[in-house]
Amino acid sequence: MAYLLDSFQHALRLIFAFDPEVFRTVWTSLYTSLTAILLATVSGVPIGVAVGLLRFPGRRVVLTLLNTLLALPTVVVGLVLFGFFSRQGPLGPLGLLFTPWAMIAGQIVLSTPIVANYTVSAVTGADPRILPTAQTLGAGRFLGTCQLLLEVRFGVMAALVAGFGRVIAEVGVAMMLGGNIRGYTRTMTTAIALETSKGEFAFGLALGIVLLGVALFINMFLHILQQR
Amino acid sequence: MNFLVTLNNLRFRRDGFSLLIDHLELESGKVYLLQGPNGAGKSTLLHLLGLLLHPDQGELCFAGHVVNGKADRQRLRRQITLVEQNPYLFDTSVYQNLAFGLRLRDVRGDLQRRRISQALRAVDLEGFENRRAQALSGGESRRVALARALVLRPQLLLLDEPTAGLDRETLPVFERCLAELPGQGTTVVIAGHDSDQSRRLGGMVIKLDQGKLVPESGEPAPQLKETF
Repeated sequence: MAYLLDSFQHALRLIFAFDPEVFRTVWTSLYTSLTAILLATVSGVPIGVAVGLLRFPGRRVVLTLLNTLLALPTVVVGLVLFGFFSRQGPLGPLGLLFTPWAMIAGQIVLSTPIVANYTVSAVTGADPRILPTAQTLGAGRFLGTCQLLLEVRFGVMAALVAGFGRVIAEVGVAMMLGGNIRGYTRTMTTAIALETSKGEFAFGLALGIVLLGVALFINMFLHILQQR
Repeated sequence: MNFLVTLNNLRFRRDGFSLLIDHLELESGKVYLLQGPNGAGKSTLLHLLGLLLHPDQGELCFAGHVVNGKADRQRLRRQITLVEQNPYLFDTSVYQNLAFGLRLRDVRGDLQRRRISQALRAVDLEGFENRRAQALSGGESRRVALARALVLRPQLLLLDEPTAGLDRETLPVFERCLAELPGQGTTVVIAGHDSDQSRRLGGMVIKLDQGKLVPESGEPAPQLKETF
């Protein structure tokens, strides 16, 4: 018990002393995950809107596929993209392996199905009068859909938060595609795994506390938005 | 005579229901009462007139223009507004609800504010600009929906059972607003069951049954009967 308490105190000291190593790692995690979720929004929201609104042959198959992709193992994504980004792979010449961009690419693959699925739910659960109302006021299909997205904005925001939660907490993609390079691709999760295995439990704990804090902050932010 | 809308040999079929209009002309600046039993096709005809549904066959002329093609419909639809029986108000302020259609017509700034203020005054909701639209009472919501249509100053205003279930306070406001519109050059088509309304608004009756215009006894098409 004393070991845990000592580690906890040490972890708090590292955080409040603004330990540069801790904060560099936190920053890498935040910017890769935020970039990934931003780009996953660009791909996931239109997919979700299309699947939610349009009736086309194979829609059920697409829905099943999107649901299946929710459970995509991070190491599998890491493994497949490793093949693409490795020197002999088709994207090898881009030299992206073991860079933050490789991690971002993997995180986009992980979070796009989440964003798309949540958007499908938000769109299909929306009031069916929204789109016709926008059209009666002169909006075309595109502007009507934009208005629909505005009306279901909390559902879309929940999609982004869920996607962000998934990518900031994952280890497989960050480890396999980022390579856990100190000060460059080392994220909170890969650092926790590494430092704990080296016996630096307090350092891992400090990052774990920050990770929890980030999750708490995001959920509180969403909650406040929903209250408005 | 100055006809705003002309329908010729219009055919529309959906889910076992057929609407057949051989010939119908609507004059500019007149009020029309579209009457008939439930399932007669009143709402379908309103949606066709609003260019929200597309006929399978036949010709629809609006303001001397044969409506043809998607771009045509989209452009002409901005001169028409439909108020549904159970209107949806966007989940924002009353002001933003009214501003939606104006923004699509590029009416912004002071002109936008002035027109919104006038429209709200017309429905006795002055000072409601910043109220949350979805927190309004039923009668207030219906008045906001009417103001949202009036603010656009459409050439053709279509109303689907606008006074059904209205309280005693709201009904005179509605009828006063509608009675003023022909003087401003707006053609109004009201679908409903209230036969006294045609007398109060000084309109013409169009009777519809089982998807067809009902000829008044001894009168040929277009089956319009002056009620005053």
